[in-house]
Amino acid sequence: MSEAVQRWRIVFARNEEARYLAHLDAVTQWERAFRRGAIPVATTGGFNARPKLVFAAPLQLGMLAEHELADLFLAERLTAPALRERLTAGMPAGYRVIDLHDVWIGAPALAPQLVAADYRMTLLGVEREDLASAATRILSAERLPRERRRETKTVAYDLRPLIIELRVRDADAGTLAADGAPAEAAELWMRLRHSQERGSGRADEVVAALADELGMTTASETPGATETPSATETPGVDRPRIESAVSVRERLWLEEELTQHGERDQAPSSPEQTAG
Amino acid sequence: MTTALSRQRSPARTEAGPFNAPLPVPALTIRRLLSRVRKPGRYSGGEWNSVRKDWSETALKWCFTYPDLYEIGMSNLGLRILYEVLNERPNCLAERCFAPDVDLQAELRSAKVPLWSLETRRSLHDFDVLGLSLGYELVATNVLDMLDLAGIGLTTGERSEADPLVIAGGSIVLNPEPFADLTDAVVLGEGEDVVLEISEVLQSLGWHRRVCGRDGQSRRGVDRATTLRALARIPGVYVPSLYEPRYEADGTFAALDRLDEAAPPSVAGRIAADFETRVRGIRQIVPNIGIVFDRAQLEVMRGCTRGCRFCQAGMQSRPLRERAPEVAVAAAEAILRATGYEEVGLTSLSTADYTFVQEVASALHRRNPEVVISLPSTRVDAFTVELVDAIAPGGRRSGFTFAPEAGSQRLRDTINKGVSDEEIVRCAELAFSRGWSAVKLYFMIGLPGETAEDVLAIAGICRRVLEIGRRRHGGRAQVKANVSTFVPKPNTPFQWDGQDATDEIETKVSQLRKAFHGKGLVLSWHDPRSSLLEAALGRGDRRLTPVIVRAWRNGARLDAWDEHFKFDAWIQAFDEEGLDPAWYAQRDIPTGEHLPWEHLGAGVSGDFLLRDRRLALAGRTTADCHWGPCSNCGAPAVTGFDCDTGDQGPRRMLISGGGGTVGDEGGTGPSSRRWRYLGPPGDARRSDVAAAASIGAAAYCAGDNVNLDRAPRRGRSHDMLGTQMQSKDAGTNGLASPVEAAGGENSG
Ligand code: SF4
Repeated sequence: MSEAVQRWRIVFARNEEARYLAHLDAVTQWERAFRRGAIPVATTGGFNARPKLVFAAPLQLGMLAEHELADLFLAERLTAPALRERLTAGMPAGYRVIDLHDVWIGAPALAPQLVAADYRMTLLGVEREDLASAATRILSAERLPRERRRETKTVAYDLRPLIIELRVRDADAGTLAADGAPAEAAELWMRLRHSQERGSGRADEVVAALADELGMTTASETPGATETPSATETPGVDRPRIESAVSVRERLWLEEELTQHGERDQAPSSPEQTAG
Repeated sequence: MTTALSRQRSPARTEAGPFNAPLPVPALTIRRLLSRVRKPGRYSGGEWNSVRKDWSETALKWCFTYPDLYEIGMSNLGLRILYEVLNERPNCLAERCFAPDVDLQAELRSAKVPLWSLETRRSLHDFDVLGLSLGYELVATNVLDMLDLAGIGLTTGERSEADPLVIAGGSIVLNPEPFADLTDAVVLGEGEDVVLEISEVLQSLGWHRRVCGRDGQSRRGVDRATTLRALARIPGVYVPSLYEPRYEADGTFAALDRLDEAAPPSVAGRIAADFETRVRGIRQIVPNIGIVFDRAQLEVMRGCTRGCRFCQAGMQSRPLRERAPEVAVAAAEAILRATGYEEVGLTSLSTADYTFVQEVASALHRRNPEVVISLPSTRVDAFTVELVDAIAPGGRRSGFTFAPEAGSQRLRDTINKGVSDEEIVRCAELAFSRGWSAVKLYFMIGLPGETAEDVLAIAGICRRVLEIGRRRHGGRAQVKANVSTFVPKPNTPFQWDGQDATDEIETKVSQLRKAFHGKGLVLSWHDPRSSLLEAALGRGDRRLTPVIVRAWRNGARLDAWDEHFKFDAWIQAFDEEGLDPAWYAQRDIPTGEHLPWEHLGAGVSGDFLLRDRRLALAGRTTADCHWGPCSNCGAPAVTGFDCDTGDQGPRRMLISGGGGTVGDEGGTGPSSRRWRYLGPPGDARRSDVAAAASIGAAAYCAGDNVNLDRAPRRGRSHDMLGTQMQSKDAGTNGLASPVEAAGGENSG
């Protein structure tokens, strides 16, 4: 075990090239990046010593990200420019360091401080108006009962309290210039609760709920997510599909940040009004 | 040069001139397809150390086409080496493509999207050359799948001038005849030098596409036939279409007629120049998803002198060449730095036989205490246990693997695996005493000359080993026996021997199962039907290409994977062609009969194979020439390499390469190399010689009598030899074979 003397909060983004890394694969790749960059990472004690690296929230396979957080503990002090240089030298393609903050080593753990996450998804096969009305209906619902599959068990839960805000906008035309893609498209923006204590919402679950609302089904871009059956799915019925072409986690919010922004638990506005 | 820089380096401008690079498959199309398949990371590329070059600035485009899943293909060291060799050239680029799993195959077909390369996501059809890696017979249908998904003609006759050349290499191409009509050319032996020679010939002829004249279309500057005739003149390159086979009335092979004066009467496999002093494949690609061998790999030795008579890799990879210890240590560290891997495998067919294994392992261990070292060994002796014990992390230990191959000593002498029951038992005892509570033993059944007693002897030796384990570990002790079916391989002394009939194998397995009951004894075995196909394709001739095509049309694919293997599709295909797999696999071929592969050679000579077979029938062994005496295997004549083995003394080995040699174009002049007679490690005779020799690795090593540092280690424990590796042919290097995999690999 090597003692940690410094704690860096890494703000990073992940683009197309790293989108198919599952969380555990990403951890492995980062550890290799530290070795390539000769970064003096502190290690955990015990027989299976691991580099002390803590991601705020695992990023789902297939999801891009613009503002992720991870805490890295070093066994030797480095300046921010030196750390940035060494990280850049070894980082796998698709990861970019946005910012580095020298955090007090005794500060509370990262993950419990999370309160919310913002997502943006480009959805194919659905008209913007339809999606917006479905979003309004969902937001005005009291409860949104859904099922989540955990290994062999299916757990029932209420998705509604996990949704803070939904907005529907026009899809960015640039993403859609490919052959064979359906002409109807829309962009869905959502702020979901992300809390170790009070539960977290999954973006693909929200899309599945919207699809249900419209009598459609989802073909999620994240294969893991397609295994989650939508609550009302009837096997064998070929319903029109909503496909997500791009899904991005725009930002993770820590409690203090969201309070500063004054947006915490803000009452959801009508999706159409805030569109665009 | 740092790795980060090299990944972005742009190739120097070449004479390629203006070129309308074909368009990649659109990103959104790929995203949508990958959203519907398992493990999309297999198909997305972007890995560390992968190289993406500009198509408009690079003349000749290769794509390494590996006909198995990503996790298997990316484990192949040969691929890692050739990828670097070609991409280092400014006028070449090399990309990669692996066989898609069934889900993506279906998606590609229904969306009519071509199979794309990982680097620039272009259709395989847009490349100039496909480098096809053939490491295992049962990948045959995957080859067809990949060609078909890219719209490339399946057989040489069906290919247009626009299609790329399909050039095969790998451990099974010593008999490429069953694949003859699928491959435009075949590279025999080691590829490092030949791929560059081929590239030069193709470029000077103008095989790559260029924009021609007024119409602005890009096309090739030379036709296929001329190109193939030119390739046939390169030593080690075999162009099947320049020959035509004749058969006797009874269906046996008669002769191969040359159709063109460019076709040489025989082709001998190549060995890479400078293996001992120069290491290629330093910037190894680091996959984003877990693969079978997810670690840095350094090949410390090529060739094998043990002479196991069933082993194709051992026979065809001679002569033995070893890397000087300082070269090995420096290269291993360079690979670790370039990849960030936490583990390095010292690879070869049997690394415990590498002269400097202790020196190199201990130096690496001392200098990089956090790095896990693993190595494969086919030796069944105390030395192997001591070695693995010294480099393995303490604490949890998964099974220790040995490969006695046969149950009785008599049969082990027949196959030249000269190890006694007592030695096996002593080894196991040592492994149990060093903390391993499970021992894995690999065996073959159906070996030539095998009797019912030999089969039951497998259970007998396993019981003895378990008893010893019990004494130390009580009920925790475990013995796992893995039994595969003997497959006669071309270019081995057993190439003439027929395989047991499938029902005989099944009887033997069921006898073994009866003898294997009881706590702590585990028996696993392979589907004898896939061994039958492996033998039939392995010893086959050109009449099998249509069988492969039919089997594929009948739905056979990913045959090396148990869950996809469709035996019926194959049997039907043989039937439709009026052929019998048993005739190919199970027939004892008279030694006077002509063999479909006799015009191709590598490693040992045909004459040696016959002599060694006679010794096998007499139950006599052939000595390991690492210590001498030489058994005149013919490797020097075939390869032009001088073995320098004394009558009684050891071989002369390079002990110092002169420094500064890792992946470095210049290398060192021969003048600074130093050679010594040393002999293999772990041999009683070694200590005198070693003491007398001052080894060039002194700078790295504690001394010649190496006492490996046993400080407590940290690191993850690894199960080195998943059973998937056995049957799925996860070749570790250019010459890998399932037999090698059976040799096992040990670490913590
Ligand atoms: S020629 Fe002799 S020394 Fe050389 S590999 Fe063959 S048997 Fe060994």
